[in-house]
Amino acid sequence: MYNDKDAKKIVDIIQSYARKHSLWVVAYGTGCGAIEIPPTMTSRYDAERFGIRGSATPRQADVLLITGYLAVKTLKRVIRTYEQMQAPKFVMGFGSCTINGGMYWDSYNTINALDRYLPVDVFINGCMPRPEAVISGFIKLQQLISEGKAEGAEKYLKNLEWYRENQNKVIPNWNMPDYNW
Amino acid sequence: MEELKIEKEIAEEISKTFHSAEVTVKREKRVVVKLRDDLITPFLSYAKNNMNFIHLAHISCVDWLEDNKFELIYSLLNYDNKVMILAKTYIDRENPEFVSHTNYWDQAETYEREMREMYGINFKGNKRLTEFILEDWQGIPPMRRDFDTVKFSQDTFYNRPGRENAQDVRTTVTKKSGEEIPEIGKDYTVRNL
Amino acid sequence: MREKETTLYLGPQHPGITGNMMVKLKVAGDTVVKAETHVGYLHRAFEKLMEQRTWMQSFPIVCRICVPEPDPNEENLARAVEEIEGREVPERAKYIRVMALELSRLAAYMLWMGGQSGGLGLYTAPQWSVGDRDYILDLFEELTGGRIYHMYIWAGGVRRDLPDGFKERVLKTMDYFESRLPEYDKLIFDNAIFKKRTIGIGVIDKEKALEWGVVGPPLRGCGIKHDVRIDEPYEIYDKLEFEVPTVEGGDIYARAMVRRREMEQSISMIRQVLDKMPGGPVYNKVPNPLNWYVPKGDAYVKTESARGEFGYYAVSDGSLKPRRVHVRGPAYVHGVSLLERILVGANISDVSPIMNSLGVCPPEIER
Repeated sequence: MYNDKDAKKIVDIIQSYARKHSLWVVAYGTGCGAIEIPPTMTSRYDAERFGIRGSATPRQADVLLITGYLAVKTLKRVIRTYEQMQAPKFVMGFGSCTINGGMYWDSYNTINALDRYLPVDVFINGCMPRPEAVISGFIKLQQLISEGKAEGAEKYLKNLEWYRENQNKVIPNWNMPDYNW
Repeated sequence: MEELKIEKEIAEEISKTFHSAEVTVKREKRVVVKLRDDLITPFLSYAKNNMNFIHLAHISCVDWLEDNKFELIYSLLNYDNKVMILAKTYIDRENPEFVSHTNYWDQAETYEREMREMYGINFKGNKRLTEFILEDWQGIPPMRRDFDTVKFSQDTFYNRPGRENAQDVRTTVTKKSGEEIPEIGKDYTVRNL
Repeated sequence: MREKETTLYLGPQHPGITGNMMVKLKVAGDTVVKAETHVGYLHRAFEKLMEQRTWMQSFPIVCRICVPEPDPNEENLARAVEEIEGREVPERAKYIRVMALELSRLAAYMLWMGGQSGGLGLYTAPQWSVGDRDYILDLFEELTGGRIYHMYIWAGGVRRDLPDGFKERVLKTMDYFESRLPEYDKLIFDNAIFKKRTIGIGVIDKEKALEWGVVGPPLRGCGIKHDVRIDEPYEIYDKLEFEVPTVEGGDIYARAMVRRREMEQSISMIRQVLDKMPGGPVYNKVPNPLNWYVPKGDAYVKTESARGEFGYYAVSDGSLKPRRVHVRGPAYVHGVSLLERILVGANISDVSPIMNSLGVCPPEIER
């Protein structure tokens, strides 16, 4: 006989196996990194063999790919997109500018560190990262999922106040709906 | 000089019509006209209707902080002889105001919206001076020279500290190659976070 | 009966939109009554950042203004600096620049083909054309070290000479592309669905096109022959034999056919360039990039990019850093005032193909 704990463990394993092989990326080209997404998705690099494909709406997607720098105006929309997504959901930061601002470190309109505003599971560095790097980032995310370490969404809920404080600091006019998770 | 024949004819026609205009033929297919600010509208209208300069390529603004002036540049293109006119004028930097040219060209509206946002120039007659690029911007218009983008970025956004063992590229390279850093390069230690 | 008007937000998160921008549509039934473009989602303040950096440090910045096709930006800034300074460029560098520009035009058209036909539901086309585009990106990677951003053209020439055997590889790729074009004809340009969805849709008025500021393939799709490469030849375009195709109609199909024919011209131009390329250095002696004072002056330079005339207005006050660099991208006009005008009366499903055919590229609207 299995006890509840073991049963949960088995369910978790099956769940994460299924999750990691169907990563749907929401179609939101937030920055210039969106130019490397078509090559990644189409015939040459063919990311679909890893179960990665595009999804038109945030509600059906699992991964939010932040392709590069975020202008403050976009950050507001990205937060809203992220909060519309249903769990399990993961965020990938794509390019140097999501890590420390990259070459826009002194720009008045782009944020410098993405993980202050959204919980990032995987960062891919480079400007711009090649499709191989994108795929390797996805494989890293799959690894994290199968180990049960991709817990960005839970982190976001737990530290919501801290994230909100940071978000409010850069977005002057916060007029967004409250989601009741 | 046979080569700049068309350009010289255009320059002559402009200086005949607008006596106070300072016209120079800069190079092949470029004529620069410096005008008083109240002559810009008559000039644009004349160039568009009588000289066939029907294409407005761009409107640009340069901030001359030292002289306390904004320079406005209107570029017009003639599709028949492919000559481009750059019409320049200066306006005051305090409470800048200028005339809108949306009734001459549709696309002037976009340029004027951008300049109002980036420089704070008010274009009288433009009905759509709404938010264009920035959202909820507070403070002085960002493209003005006295706006410090580095300071703003450091105050507003979180700057991730670098690695402790990170090395300055410039000094590392000079150490390896054995060359001196040029005096001017020493000012360019860009990133002190 | 008058139908009720509804407001529809197309973007910024929408698979059919060309980049990160938003079009606010007022629709009655299926027909667009009013369109309003909202941009600014990609504003990185390039023009401000360039004022913070030296002229040479601006080169890595300008190529990021237009992502699908970065080379015209580098070319423009390089020529602006050269015009202000009166700097000469070696003959070989001019040939290499033209080769890079035409290769990037070809790559941009390949990406456009994927976007245009993918938006109409022809999902095989992007698989082909984006895959084929990678052959050009491989050439660029070999030549410059970067797939997307090259930073290859700079004031005084180009950064380095062609690698060994590069010429043969380019020619081989061009042969491949030429053999692919008839297949693309079958797949896209002669396709009944493509024709039905594009002919007579998104029409630009020929009489008004010049006044509205239309440039590039949309203008040539109205039957007006205007191209910076012949009107104001830069580099060595006056030494090459090519024609500028024009198509009557002014609709999406006409613009598509202009681009289709230009691809042939680009292939032929690249062959001519490689054939005629002289020897010699690829850059002149230039000052120390950290100590490069550009004399006082200004210049307006323009280049024909895949979307139309790309203009730069650069002002120097005699110091190390640019006083002002104004970037005038073709999408600045196409994406705001023109798009708002021609979307009126269009069907909702045609909005995305119209945007694609105009080559609306938001990063160059807001920069």
